[in-house]
Amino acid sequence: MTKWRVMTVDDSAAILTIIAAYLEDSEFEVVASERDGRSAVERFAEIKPDIVLLDLIMPGQSGVETLSRLLAIDPDAFVVIVSSLGTEEAVHECLTTGAKSFLQKPFTKDDFIDFMRDLTQVA
Amino acid sequence: MGATFFGQYLLSKGVISRDALIDAINLQRKKNLSLTALAVRLGYLDSQQEEEILFRYRTTDSKLEDLCLASGHLTRDQLDDLTRIQTSDWRRIGAALVEGGHLSRDEVEEHLSVFREMQRRADEQIEANFSACREPETVKTVVTLAMIHLGRISDLPVKLRSLNDGDCDLATGRRRFVQRLVGDRELHVVLDLPQEIELVVAEGLVDIPLESGSETAIDAVCEVVNIIGGNACTQLESCGFKLRPEPPYSTVDNGPVDGTKACVRAEILAGDTEADVLVIL
Repeated sequence: MTKWRVMTVDDSAAILTIIAAYLEDSEFEVVASERDGRSAVERFAEIKPDIVLLDLIMPGQSGVETLSRLLAIDPDAFVVIVSSLGTEEAVHECLTTGAKSFLQKPFTKDDFIDFMRDLTQVA
Repeated sequence: MGATFFGQYLLSKGVISRDALIDAINLQRKKNLSLTALAVRLGYLDSQQEEEILFRYRTTDSKLEDLCLASGHLTRDQLDDLTRIQTSDWRRIGAALVEGGHLSRDEVEEHLSVFREMQRRADEQIEANFSACREPETVKTVVTLAMIHLGRISDLPVKLRSLNDGDCDLATGRRRFVQRLVGDRELHVVLDLPQEIELVVAEGLVDIPLESGSETAIDAVCEVVNIIGGNACTQLESCGFKLRPEPPYSTVDNGPVDGTKACVRAEILAGDTEADVLVIL
């Protein structure tokens, strides 16, 4: 079975570890984990993952700025925002910028896997 | 799932598409005006008077209606008129989704009932002892979220022991985990945890053994304060605050607790160990 290739972007190593653990033995494979927006953009151009899970609040280049840069490389990039901030304003800004969906932290493993599987219905 | 609003809940459950949510929020923005914005539109207030009332609203615990009357800029008849118009035009997200043809009324009711039950269970964990402290809504939101997340992540029973307004003395030798929330006001959320709880929380979050004080352990607790701060911004949005979190950090000094700002300290018990959550206002 071909796995969905996922890139995770979060300044928190803890969140990268959690997501990698949640996706282990699933139909998703984490092909890259980046700690900041700039390196995420560079890595994205190299590996073109199927799905990008992108944090919103990061030092330096923000999640929204990173999202715009990813979409400039590939307008069809499938980018999902994963953030503890879930205000209407934040969700709206991310979706209108071009994010395909928005998942608010925290989440359980079951919630997360269900969410990822729902994504693949539209990816 | 923490603090969330109904539209984001529906999106995360795959019930609606992103386009549907954007459409519904756009409809809300077009239709839903605050009392003061409506008053400006109808010529009852000018922008400066509106800002004066909103500033008082953000910095006190008074109702917006009371502040409008107390300002002397609006009469009771004008306020009644505004309330009537606002009520008749207001669209909740569910109604906006129905109006946009994205969900049926029955579907909204079904999901709303599940969502409310989820919120009710979360609310049950909330202690009610906040009324005496300054800015009770803000403090209650932050402390409640801290208790919920610390309890969930550490798997320890967490309860509020006391709430001290103005007490900013910090224990020595502890690492503090800090997040600054900025926007139309500024506050800091500080977790002041003894080392044994720090490790339990860090390991609880990543679900692997960690070394106390290691970079990963510190990073994990920073993420916990990030979840608390981000969720607090989300919840406080319904109180009229526009806040966003900055990246969290840890420090071994007193951080933002410098004696110049108002501070509320919540002493909580996680298991048998005392920990502090500070809200610097």
